[in-house]
Amino acid sequence: MSKTKLATLLFVALIGIGILGVLFGSVPLLISEVWAALTGNGQEAHRDIVVNLRLPRILLAGFVGGGLGVAGATFQALLRNPLAEPYILGVSGGASFGAVLVLSTGLAVTSSWTLPLAAFAGALLAIFLVFRIAISTGGAMDVRILLLSGVVIAAFFSACIAFILSISPARTVQSAILWTMGSLAGADWNRVIIAGAYTMPAAAVLISLARPLNLMAIGEETAYYLGANVEGVKRISLVVAALITAASVSVAGVIGFVGLVVPHTLRILVGSDHRGLLPLSFLGGATFLIGADFVARLVLSPIEIPIGVITAFIGVPFFLVLLRQSTVTE
Amino acid sequence: MQRQHLAIAVILTLATGCDNVVWEGLELRLQPPISPATVERNRSTVSNIILVDATGLEVTLQEPAQRIISLVPSATQTLRALGVIHTVVGRTDFDIENWVLDIPSVGGGLEPNFEDIIALEPDLVVRFAGDQDPQTKSRLDELEIPQIAVRPDRLTDLYASVRLLGKATGTEPSADSIVASIKNELADLQRWTSEKPKVHTAYILGGSPPWVAGPNSYIDEILALAGGRNVFSDLGFLYGSVSPEQLRVRKIDVVLISDRSQFDPRLTPGSRIEEIGNTLELPGPNIAETARHIARILHDDRVR
Amino acid sequence: MRFETTDLVIKYPGQNRPALNSVNMSAPSGSFYAVLGPNGSGKSTLMKGLLGIAKADQGRALIAERNVSNWDRKALARVIGVVSQSETVSFPITVREMVGMGRYPHLGPLEGEGSEDKVAVHEALEVCDVTHLVNRDLSTLSGGELQRVRIARALAQEPMALVLDEPTSSLDIKHAMEILELLKQSVASGLTVILTTHGLDLAARFSDRMLLLSEGQVAAEGTPDEVVNEEALADVYGWPVKVEWEPTTGSPRVTPLRS
Repeated sequence: MSKTKLATLLFVALIGIGILGVLFGSVPLLISEVWAALTGNGQEAHRDIVVNLRLPRILLAGFVGGGLGVAGATFQALLRNPLAEPYILGVSGGASFGAVLVLSTGLAVTSSWTLPLAAFAGALLAIFLVFRIAISTGGAMDVRILLLSGVVIAAFFSACIAFILSISPARTVQSAILWTMGSLAGADWNRVIIAGAYTMPAAAVLISLARPLNLMAIGEETAYYLGANVEGVKRISLVVAALITAASVSVAGVIGFVGLVVPHTLRILVGSDHRGLLPLSFLGGATFLIGADFVARLVLSPIEIPIGVITAFIGVPFFLVLLRQSTVTE
Repeated sequence: MQRQHLAIAVILTLATGCDNVVWEGLELRLQPPISPATVERNRSTVSNIILVDATGLEVTLQEPAQRIISLVPSATQTLRALGVIHTVVGRTDFDIENWVLDIPSVGGGLEPNFEDIIALEPDLVVRFAGDQDPQTKSRLDELEIPQIAVRPDRLTDLYASVRLLGKATGTEPSADSIVASIKNELADLQRWTSEKPKVHTAYILGGSPPWVAGPNSYIDEILALAGGRNVFSDLGFLYGSVSPEQLRVRKIDVVLISDRSQFDPRLTPGSRIEEIGNTLELPGPNIAETARHIARILHDDRVR
Repeated sequence: MRFETTDLVIKYPGQNRPALNSVNMSAPSGSFYAVLGPNGSGKSTLMKGLLGIAKADQGRALIAERNVSNWDRKALARVIGVVSQSETVSFPITVREMVGMGRYPHLGPLEGEGSEDKVAVHEALEVCDVTHLVNRDLSTLSGGELQRVRIARALAQEPMALVLDEPTSSLDIKHAMEILELLKQSVASGLTVILTTHGLDLAARFSDRMLLLSEGQVAAEGTPDEVVNEEALADVYGWPVKVEWEPTTGSPRVTPLRS
């Protein structure tokens, strides 16, 4: 499939699912009521729902999904591994740790920012630790050591979390588990603005590194010989991708599969040229997550299913089908 | 308020011959209705007890239980109300009342510490019915310790478990008394609330998306007894996370939350928010007290 | 362009002796220059030193009379095409995309390929005789085809020199000869070619000059006649050999004798 064709398709899908997400929700509203709400008329409760709940939620899903998509593609290139995904460097472990710490001390709702900030701080801690370990073995950053240290740090935070939960009351355990399963329900305009202000420039930085990333995906030595600033590109792209992931996790919890399935699927469809793959991963991730959130909100309405469940249920079979197709056509 | 309170106490006293249903705040302090000496005397005349517990299991005791380990907090409360708290040698971490602190804990109700249980040499263990913890049942069977299961959640189950515990401890008259008094209090409450309009309410346990109580739960039952209508009685599940949109669109007069720090009031503009601690999470023989307390809150009629 | 080293010393951490110990060599511009020696003699290290990837502990490596450490990495990529020993590609990629990467040193960050880039790629594909493979995925190619594609990528850079690390080691006679003839052709069109290899016979047949390394030091440097002689080889490889010169091809045949 050609890249432009896919891009148009994705763009249309994005707009489409976005509109659907505003029109439909847990509370059934007529199209006329939604329109009224958007134009400043209509009942106050409807305005509240459409403008303060649904709209920010769609946008947040878009930014988080897009961020995870582009970060996932970047990690796959840097680690030269199609199975890499954004949480591979222990980011989710660190973020969860920060969140659980705050939940267990009851500080969680001193302000609506405490939890996301704690999660972000935890994520930063994980990134810092992983990088320290990988760099400590000499000047150059060895990506295999990076991977290993990511696994180790993730396990460490897992253990810390388990410990805290073992001495916590049931309510804390429940909150912690629900948080880690991911949810966009806390979306409000503040979070949207912060997520957007963070994700868009970061994604732009990564996209500008598309060429060197193409080279890095072949091999660091080859990339060097073809003129890429290997160390510089590695550090910038790893840090930026890790920070996008940290930001996503802190506002939406740990939402899996987006960063793995979306870039990998797109790779099968349009190849590995990152100049196209990265922007498409952003679009694809955004569309996917908005769609998954849509399903999560509506399938068992008024109950909401944790979004991580939906991304797995949709992502895995979809990916398997594509994998099958690609091996068959070869 | 005090007068109404007193009036109820007087009426009940006269009606049932109980001399005390003392309401101290949210904790029930159901005093035993019969003097301890009488209780002991009655117990000593009982023998060869055949029990059928909440799971239909038949257990025979030669004499009333003397060393009981209660893995169910509401059973502990019931045993106290029956006047036999001195026979309780073990309880769980979830028993939190002051009067229980002297009794050693054996850990959690669902996965208790078996070493502690064995060391206490019980002659009866009271556990939760249901299969969250099949291990406990089978291990008690292995150790040949008599066990009975109770289901303390709903009103009907509660009456059955009070009677069961009464039989197991040779205090059946007290048990009947307690059941009667609860029924009376609830009837009274019913009369009071029937004169008031129904209050639309919801019990929210916090979280994002917010976790609410649905139909057929203990909480739902209390809310109904208290003259409230649970706006989430159409939920297909006992509990569930609901979209914040639902909180906006359903008119909730009073939002009940256990902990103000877990709940963002902006989710329910226009509703009165009342923090009630874990009152609604500890079912037990104090159900009538709890219902009355909630009723007062819902109808904005509290003792201030 | 000329490649040379002056008293080059390169040490790897944790090793007793330096990988390269005061090596002096010179590959003249436009020559076919082969570097030989047993395993561990320092062939790959010399390549890395010449390309600036391994830093000199003492001495210097010069490319076109300029110290390697003073060369801008991207500028170097515009004039030298490198084919390293092996690459593992974990992603689907076509031959066309692979060879196209050779143009990266000439392009800006998001710049697309222009017409001259397309021409360069096309020519490289032709010269390496892989045009018929353009849309194939790399994973479907044979060893020989893959090697030609990598050389095509290096040629697409429109370099002045090619540096190859053991380009024929895993190839059969046919494919090895194809590669060597291709490289000879490149030299004929003006490029300098430096390669490391184990194949003494073929190296001597195709090279203009050779370097024989032993334990990080120069054992011999010069024309094939000068380097391929029985004393030097026996000394370096630690095994007695007989050298016979083939009259028809002008290449030597080196036969290991019984110990």
